[in-house]
Amino acid sequence: MTFSDWLRADRLPHIFCAGCGNGTVINCTLNAVDQAGLEKEETVFVSGIGCSSRAPGYIVTDSLHTTHGRALAFATGIKMANPALSVVVFTGDGDLAAIGGNHFIHACRRNIDLTVVCMNNMIYGMTGGQGSPTTPRMALSTTTPYGSAEPAFDLCELAIAAGANYVSRWTSYHVKELTRAILAGLRTPGLSFIEAMVQCPTNFGRRNRYRQPLDQVEYFKTHGMLVEKVRRLQEEGQEIPPETIVLGELARRNRPAMGVKT
Amino acid sequence: MKLVIDEKRCKGCNLCTMVCPYKIYKPGKKPNERGIVVPELDRPERCPNCRLQALYGRTLCGMCQMICPDQAISWVEEKPGEKKKVAIEF
Ligand SMILES: Cc1ncc(C[n+]2csc(CCOP(=O)(O)OP(=O)(O)O)c2C)c(N)n1
Ligand code: SF4
Ligand code: SF4
Ligand code: SF4
Ligand SMILES: [Mg+2]
Repeated sequence: MTFSDWLRADRLPHIFCAGCGNGTVINCTLNAVDQAGLEKEETVFVSGIGCSSRAPGYIVTDSLHTTHGRALAFATGIKMANPALSVVVFTGDGDLAAIGGNHFIHACRRNIDLTVVCMNNMIYGMTGGQGSPTTPRMALSTTTPYGSAEPAFDLCELAIAAGANYVSRWTSYHVKELTRAILAGLRTPGLSFIEAMVQCPTNFGRRNRYRQPLDQVEYFKTHGMLVEKVRRLQEEGQEIPPETIVLGELARRNRPAMGVKT
Repeated sequence: MKLVIDEKRCKGCNLCTMVCPYKIYKPGKKPNERGIVVPELDRPERCPNCRLQALYGRTLCGMCQMICPDQAISWVEEKPGEKKKVAIEF
C-alpha cells in the first residue's frame, strides 16, 4: 500500500486554495500511517472546524468532523471507550490553541494516547484571515491591520509544559522529516504532538510579503533551524537570527499515559 | 513507468518546481481548459522512479509527490505498445 490508498479519490480535488500547505500535511500523515502498518478499520481521524479540519473528509477511514475547538475532547472519548483504535487528530492553530486551548493542555496533562497533527498557518484561514494565538508579532491580519501587537504562543513549548510524551515541529517544506516525526508520534504511547508550519497563501501569505505560495515555503526552508543547533548557539552565547523556526524533536519521554493499547 | 501530472487535480501552485533535484518541473506557460497553468515536464524520464520504482518495489525520492498539496503527481504504467523513453542522469 501507499499513502494514496488512504485517500478518497472520489472527493478530490479538495477545497483547499492553490498552494495551501494543508494538502502536503495530509500526504505526510497518510504516508506515516501507512508506514506504521495501521489497518484502515482500526484507525480514526478526528478534527474540529477550520480549513485544516476538513482533512479527515478526504480519508477513507472512519472519522469525526466535530465542533470548533473540540476535536481533542471527542478524540479522548473515542480513545477511552476503545483503546484498540489508533486515533489521529487534525487541527488548526485557532482550533487547537484559541477556542480549544483548554482541551489542548488537559489532553497533554492526561497524556492520552493520541497523535495530534496541528497545521499551524498562524491565522484563522477559513473565516477570512483573523489573527490567531500563533500570529507572529507585527504580522498583518484582518484583525491586526497595523501588525499584531501581541506575543504569540509556542505550541510545542505549551505541549511540553503540559505533559505530552512526544513533541516535534517541522514545516510543509520538510516533507520527509515531517513524515518521520508523525511516524515516531504514532509509535510513542501517550500524547504525541506534531506541529506542522504551513503556508496559507490566501489569508496569511498575501498580507505578509509572500506573494506566491512558493515564497512562504522558501521562508520555511531558509529560516528553519534544527533544535540541536539552536541549543548549541545558545550555549556558546551566540545570537539566534530573528524569525528562526526551531525544528526537530523537542521532547520524547515516558510519563504515565492513558488509553494506551494493551 | 512514466511521470504524470493529473490535470484534473493540479492547481498550478508550482511547489513541485522547488523540490525536484533534477529540475524536471518547469512553471507552465498557458492555462489548460480549467484555467490552470500546469507545470511543464522537462524530460521526465530522468526521474529515477520511471526506471526503478517497479524494481525496488517502492517510491524513490518522491519529494514532488509528497509536497504536491493536490495529490496530482504519480507514476503510471505505459500503455501496451506505447514508446518508453529511458534516460539516466548522474
Ligand atoms: C463555536 C464556533 N466559533 C467560531 C466559529 C467560526 N470559525 C470557524 S473556523 C474558525 C477558525 C479556524 O482557524 P484554524 O483552526 O486556525 O483553522 P484554519 O482555517 O486556519 O486551518 C472560526 C473562528 C465556529 N465555527 N464555531
Ligand atoms: S484559506 Fe488558507 S488555510 Fe484555508 S484553504 Fe485557503 S490557503 Fe488553505
Ligand atoms: S521523485 Fe524526485 S527526482 Fe523524481 S520527479 Fe519527483 S522530485 Fe524529481
Ligand atoms: S505541486 Fe502539484 S498542484 Fe502544485 S503545480 Fe505541482 S503538480 Fe500542480
Ligand atoms: Mg489556522
